[in-house]
Amino acid sequence: MTAAADVRLTMPARPEGVAIVRQALAGIADALAFDEAVLADMKMAVSEACTNVVVHAYPDDEGVLEVDMAADETGLIIRVRDHGSGIQPQVNRSGDVPALGLGLPLIAALSDSYELQGSAGQGTEVRMMFTYLRESDPAAANPVTGTIGEDGRWDSDGTSGAPAG
Amino acid sequence: MDANPIVLDDTAGDVVIVVVEGEHDIYTAPTLRERLDEAIGRGGGVVVDLTGATFVDSSVLGALLDARRRALEARQGFVVCVGEAVEPGVQRILDITGLVPVLPVINGRDAAIETARANGNGADA
Repeated sequence: MTAAADVRLTMPARPEGVAIVRQALAGIADALAFDEAVLADMKMAVSEACTNVVVHAYPDDEGVLEVDMAADETGLIIRVRDHGSGIQPQVNRSGDVPALGLGLPLIAALSDSYELQGSAGQGTEVRMMFTYLRESDPAAANPVTGTIGEDGRWDSDGTSGAPAG
Repeated sequence: MDANPIVLDDTAGDVVIVVVEGEHDIYTAPTLRERLDEAIGRGGGVVVDLTGATFVDSSVLGALLDARRRALEARQGFVVCVGEAVEPGVQRILDITGLVPVLPVINGRDAAIETARANGNGADA
Protein backbone atom coordinates (compact mmCIF):
# COMPACT_ATOMS: atom_id res chain seq x y z
CA MET A 1 0.00 0.00 0.00
CA THR A 2 2.94 2.35 -0.40
CA ALA A 3 3.61 2.23 -4.12
CA ALA A 4 1.84 5.44 -5.03
CA ALA A 5 2.61 7.50 -1.96
CA ASP A 6 3.55 11.15 -2.05
CA VAL A 7 2.44 12.81 -5.24
CA ARG A 8 2.42 16.58 -5.73
CA LEU A 9 0.54 18.36 -8.50
CA THR A 10 1.16 22.04 -9.20
CA MET A 11 -0.81 23.80 -11.90
CA PRO A 12 -2.47 27.10 -12.78
CA ALA A 13 -5.69 27.56 -10.80
CA ARG A 14 -8.01 27.27 -13.79
CA PRO A 15 -11.26 25.34 -14.32
CA GLU A 16 -9.72 22.88 -16.77
CA GLY A 17 -7.23 21.70 -14.13
CA VAL A 18 -9.83 20.18 -11.80
CA ALA A 19 -10.46 17.17 -14.07
CA ILE A 20 -6.71 16.54 -14.27
CA VAL A 21 -6.55 16.34 -10.47
CA ARG A 22 -9.44 13.84 -10.51
CA GLN A 23 -7.67 11.67 -13.07
CA ALA A 24 -4.45 11.64 -11.07
CA LEU A 25 -6.40 10.79 -7.95
CA ALA A 26 -8.20 7.93 -9.71
CA GLY A 27 -4.86 6.45 -10.76
CA ILE A 28 -3.44 6.66 -7.27
CA ALA A 29 -6.59 5.25 -5.67
CA ASP A 30 -6.55 2.36 -8.13
CA ALA A 31 -2.97 1.51 -7.17
CA LEU A 32 -4.01 1.60 -3.51
CA ALA A 33 -7.07 -0.64 -4.11
CA PHE A 34 -9.60 1.81 -2.72
CA ASP A 35 -13.25 0.83 -2.79
CA GLU A 36 -15.18 2.37 -5.69
CA ALA A 37 -17.54 4.20 -3.35
CA VAL A 38 -14.66 5.78 -1.43
CA LEU A 39 -12.99 6.77 -4.69
CA ALA A 40 -16.21 8.49 -5.76
CA ASP A 41 -16.26 10.42 -2.49
CA MET A 42 -12.60 11.36 -2.85
CA LYS A 43 -13.11 12.64 -6.38
CA MET A 44 -16.08 14.72 -5.32
CA ALA A 45 -14.42 16.21 -2.22
CA VAL A 46 -11.17 17.00 -4.05
CA SER A 47 -13.09 18.56 -6.94
CA GLU A 48 -14.93 20.82 -4.53
CA ALA A 49 -11.70 21.85 -2.81
CA CYS A 50 -10.01 22.59 -6.14
CA THR A 51 -13.07 24.48 -7.36
CA ASN A 52 -12.91 26.70 -4.28
CA VAL A 53 -9.33 27.58 -5.22
CA VAL A 54 -10.23 28.28 -8.84
CA VAL A 55 -13.25 30.41 -7.98
CA HIS A 56 -12.22 32.22 -4.82
CA ALA A 57 -8.46 32.32 -4.27
CA TYR A 58 -7.08 34.74 -6.81
CA PRO A 59 -8.77 38.08 -7.57
CA ASP A 60 -6.63 38.71 -10.67
CA ASP A 61 -7.07 35.20 -12.11
CA GLU A 62 -3.35 34.35 -11.86
CA GLY A 63 -2.40 31.82 -9.23
CA VAL A 64 -1.33 28.31 -8.44
CA LEU A 65 -3.33 25.27 -7.36
CA GLU A 66 -1.31 22.73 -5.38
CA VAL A 67 -2.49 19.23 -4.53
CA ASP A 68 -0.49 16.80 -2.38
CA MET A 69 -1.52 13.15 -2.01
CA ALA A 70 0.25 10.98 0.54
CA ALA A 71 -0.65 7.41 1.46
CA ASP A 72 0.05 5.84 4.84
CA GLU A 73 -1.07 2.69 6.66
CA THR A 74 -4.61 3.90 7.25
CA GLY A 75 -5.46 5.80 4.12
CA LEU A 76 -4.80 8.68 1.77
CA ILE A 77 -4.24 12.25 2.94
CA ILE A 78 -4.97 14.89 0.32
CA ARG A 79 -4.03 18.54 0.73
CA VAL A 80 -5.42 21.18 -1.62
CA ARG A 81 -3.64 24.50 -1.26
CA ASP A 82 -3.60 28.00 -2.71
CA HIS A 83 -1.54 31.10 -2.03
CA GLY A 84 -4.42 33.45 -2.49
CA SER A 85 -6.69 35.77 -0.62
CA GLY A 86 -7.39 33.55 2.37
CA ILE A 87 -10.01 31.46 3.98
CA GLN A 88 -12.95 33.78 3.45
CA PRO A 89 -14.16 33.98 -0.14
CA GLN A 90 -13.27 37.52 -1.24
CA VAL A 91 -14.03 37.28 -4.90
CA ASN A 92 -16.03 35.16 -7.25
CA ARG A 93 -14.19 34.62 -10.48
CA SER A 94 -17.20 33.24 -12.23
CA GLY A 95 -18.58 36.78 -12.46
CA ASP A 96 -22.33 37.00 -12.44
CA VAL A 97 -22.86 33.34 -11.57
CA PRO A 98 -22.82 33.02 -7.78
CA ALA A 99 -21.17 29.98 -6.26
CA LEU A 100 -23.66 27.61 -4.70
CA GLY A 101 -21.81 27.47 -1.39
CA LEU A 102 -21.95 23.69 -1.09
CA GLY A 103 -18.22 23.01 -1.34
CA LEU A 104 -17.25 22.83 2.33
CA PRO A 105 -20.39 20.98 3.46
CA LEU A 106 -19.66 18.36 0.79
CA ILE A 107 -16.00 18.06 1.82
CA ALA A 108 -17.11 17.57 5.44
CA ALA A 109 -19.66 14.92 4.47
CA LEU A 110 -17.47 12.93 2.08
CA SER A 111 -14.12 12.80 3.88
CA ASP A 112 -13.35 10.68 6.92
CA SER A 113 -11.83 13.81 8.45
CA TYR A 114 -10.83 17.24 7.23
CA GLU A 115 -9.17 20.44 8.38
CA LEU A 116 -9.21 23.94 6.98
CA GLN A 117 -6.22 26.17 7.61
CA GLY A 118 -5.47 29.68 6.45
CA SER A 119 -5.78 33.36 7.11
CA ALA A 120 -6.26 36.56 5.13
CA GLY A 121 -3.40 36.98 2.68
CA GLN A 122 -1.77 33.69 3.66
CA GLY A 123 -3.59 31.31 1.39
CA THR A 124 -5.76 28.37 2.34
CA GLU A 125 -5.16 24.65 2.74
CA VAL A 126 -7.85 21.99 2.93
CA ARG A 127 -6.55 18.71 4.36
CA MET A 128 -8.74 15.67 3.77
CA MET A 129 -8.24 12.12 4.98
CA PHE A 130 -9.82 9.02 3.41
CA THR A 131 -9.41 5.62 5.05
CA TYR A 132 -8.98 2.35 3.12
CA LEU A 133 -11.63 0.63 5.20
CA ARG A 134 -14.55 2.66 6.41
CA GLU A 135 -16.42 1.58 9.50
CA SER A 136 -19.24 4.00 8.81
CA ASP A 137 -20.41 6.51 6.22
CA PRO A 138 -18.91 9.94 7.00
CA ALA A 139 -22.00 11.58 5.47
CA ALA A 140 -24.01 10.09 8.33
CA ALA A 141 -21.78 11.80 10.91
CA ASN A 142 -21.52 15.09 8.99
CA PRO A 143 -24.64 15.31 6.86
CA VAL A 144 -25.17 18.14 4.40
CA THR A 145 -27.91 20.18 6.02
CA GLY A 146 -30.24 22.76 4.55
CA THR A 147 -31.43 23.26 1.01
CA ILE A 148 -31.34 25.78 -1.79
CA GLY A 149 -32.27 29.29 -0.64
CA GLU A 150 -34.25 31.93 -2.50
CA ASP A 151 -31.02 33.74 -3.35
CA GLY A 152 -29.78 30.71 -5.29
CA ARG A 153 -27.09 29.88 -2.72
CA TRP A 154 -27.07 26.93 -0.36
CA ASP A 155 -28.77 27.75 2.93
CA SER A 156 -27.32 25.48 5.61
CA ASP A 157 -30.02 26.42 8.10
CA GLY A 158 -32.81 25.91 5.64
CA THR A 159 -34.26 29.26 6.70
CA SER A 160 -33.76 31.71 3.85
CA GLY A 161 -36.40 29.99 1.78
CA ALA A 162 -38.99 30.63 4.48
CA PRO A 163 -41.33 33.59 4.11
CA ALA A 164 -40.19 36.67 6.03
CA GLY A 165 -42.10 37.62 9.12
CA MET B 1 -14.57 14.12 -30.20
CA ASP B 2 -16.06 15.60 -27.05
CA ALA B 3 -15.80 13.05 -24.23
CA ASN B 4 -18.24 15.03 -22.11
CA PRO B 5 -21.00 16.18 -24.46
CA ILE B 6 -24.07 18.22 -23.57
CA VAL B 7 -26.58 18.16 -26.41
CA LEU B 8 -30.24 19.07 -26.93
CA ASP B 9 -32.64 16.40 -28.12
CA ASP B 10 -35.88 17.67 -29.68
CA THR B 11 -37.44 14.35 -30.49
CA ALA B 12 -40.02 14.58 -27.69
CA GLY B 13 -41.72 17.56 -29.33
CA ASP B 14 -42.87 20.04 -26.69
CA VAL B 15 -40.28 18.86 -24.14
CA VAL B 16 -36.58 19.46 -24.81
CA ILE B 17 -34.11 16.91 -23.45
CA VAL B 18 -30.69 18.19 -22.35
CA VAL B 19 -28.52 15.07 -22.59
CA VAL B 20 -25.50 15.28 -20.28
CA GLU B 21 -22.80 12.61 -20.63
CA GLY B 22 -19.41 12.05 -19.00
CA GLU B 23 -17.79 14.17 -16.28
CA HIS B 24 -18.99 17.68 -15.54
CA ASP B 25 -17.61 20.29 -13.19
CA ILE B 26 -16.68 23.96 -13.05
CA TYR B 27 -15.03 23.68 -16.46
CA THR B 28 -18.14 22.48 -18.31
CA ALA B 29 -20.76 24.20 -16.12
CA PRO B 30 -20.81 27.35 -18.34
CA THR B 31 -21.62 25.17 -21.37
CA LEU B 32 -24.34 23.42 -19.39
CA ARG B 33 -25.81 26.81 -18.44
CA GLU B 34 -25.85 27.82 -22.12
CA ARG B 35 -27.61 24.62 -23.14
CA LEU B 36 -30.13 24.98 -20.32
CA ASP B 37 -30.80 28.59 -21.35
CA GLU B 38 -31.37 27.41 -24.90
CA ALA B 39 -33.72 24.64 -23.75
CA ILE B 40 -35.76 26.99 -21.53
CA GLY B 41 -35.85 29.55 -24.34
CA ARG B 42 -37.82 27.15 -26.49
CA GLY B 43 -40.75 27.64 -24.17
CA GLY B 44 -41.74 24.07 -23.39
CA GLY B 45 -40.80 21.56 -20.74
CA VAL B 46 -37.17 20.74 -19.97
CA VAL B 47 -35.73 17.34 -19.02
CA VAL B 48 -32.07 17.03 -18.05
CA ASP B 49 -30.98 13.45 -18.71
CA LEU B 50 -28.04 12.41 -16.51
CA THR B 51 -28.21 8.72 -17.53
CA GLY B 52 -24.86 8.94 -19.29
CA ALA B 53 -23.20 11.21 -16.74
CA THR B 54 -20.38 9.73 -14.67
CA PHE B 55 -19.59 12.70 -12.41
CA VAL B 56 -21.31 15.95 -11.49
CA ASP B 57 -20.19 18.42 -8.81
CA SER B 58 -21.79 21.37 -7.04
CA SER B 59 -21.10 23.64 -10.04
CA VAL B 60 -23.47 21.43 -12.01
CA LEU B 61 -26.05 21.37 -9.22
CA GLY B 62 -25.89 25.18 -9.17
CA ALA B 63 -26.60 25.31 -12.90
CA LEU B 64 -29.49 22.84 -12.56
CA LEU B 65 -31.05 24.67 -9.61
CA ASP B 66 -30.77 27.99 -11.45
CA ALA B 67 -32.42 26.54 -14.54
CA ARG B 68 -35.13 24.94 -12.44
CA ARG B 69 -35.96 28.28 -10.80
CA ARG B 70 -36.19 30.06 -14.15
CA ALA B 71 -38.27 27.29 -15.70
CA LEU B 72 -40.71 27.33 -12.80
CA GLU B 73 -40.99 31.14 -12.97
CA ALA B 74 -41.90 30.77 -16.63
CA ARG B 75 -44.34 27.98 -15.75
CA GLN B 76 -42.35 25.43 -17.72
CA GLY B 77 -41.91 21.91 -16.42
CA PHE B 78 -38.40 21.00 -15.25
CA VAL B 79 -37.28 17.46 -14.39
CA VAL B 80 -33.91 15.71 -14.04
CA CYS B 81 -33.76 12.01 -14.90
CA VAL B 82 -31.32 9.17 -14.34
CA GLY B 83 -31.15 5.61 -15.62
CA GLU B 84 -31.49 2.24 -13.91
CA ALA B 85 -27.88 2.12 -12.75
CA VAL B 86 -26.62 5.50 -11.57
CA GLU B 87 -22.89 6.18 -11.31
CA PRO B 88 -21.63 6.80 -7.74
CA GLY B 89 -20.25 10.14 -8.94
CA VAL B 90 -23.80 11.24 -9.68
CA GLN B 91 -25.94 9.36 -7.17
CA ARG B 92 -23.93 10.33 -4.10
CA ILE B 93 -24.19 14.12 -4.48
CA LEU B 94 -27.90 13.89 -5.27
CA ASP B 95 -28.48 11.71 -2.21
CA ILE B 96 -26.53 13.66 0.39
CA THR B 97 -27.78 17.06 -0.70
CA GLY B 98 -31.40 15.91 -0.49
CA LEU B 99 -32.07 17.38 -3.94
CA VAL B 100 -33.82 14.32 -5.42
CA PRO B 101 -37.32 15.56 -4.49
CA VAL B 102 -36.37 19.23 -5.04
CA LEU B 103 -35.09 19.19 -8.61
CA PRO B 104 -36.88 16.64 -8.90
CA VAL B 105 -34.89 13.58 -10.03
CA ILE B 106 -36.85 10.62 -11.38
CA ASN B 107 -35.97 7.34 -13.04
CA GLY B 108 -36.30 6.99 -16.77
CA ARG B 109 -36.47 9.51 -19.58
CA ASP B 110 -40.02 8.68 -20.67
CA ALA B 111 -41.42 9.21 -17.18
CA ALA B 112 -39.44 12.44 -16.92
CA ILE B 113 -40.88 13.74 -20.18
CA GLU B 114 -44.41 12.99 -18.98
CA THR B 115 -43.77 14.73 -15.65
CA ALA B 116 -42.23 17.80 -17.31
CA ARG B 117 -45.20 17.97 -19.66
CA ALA B 118 -47.69 17.64 -16.81
CA ASN B 119 -45.96 20.29 -14.67
CA GLY B 120 -45.69 22.92 -17.38
CA ASN B 121 -47.93 25.48 -19.04
CA GLY B 122 -49.65 26.70 -15.93
CA ALA B 123 -50.38 23.32 -14.41
CA ASP B 124 -50.37 23.51 -10.63
CA ALA B 125 -47.11 21.88 -9.52
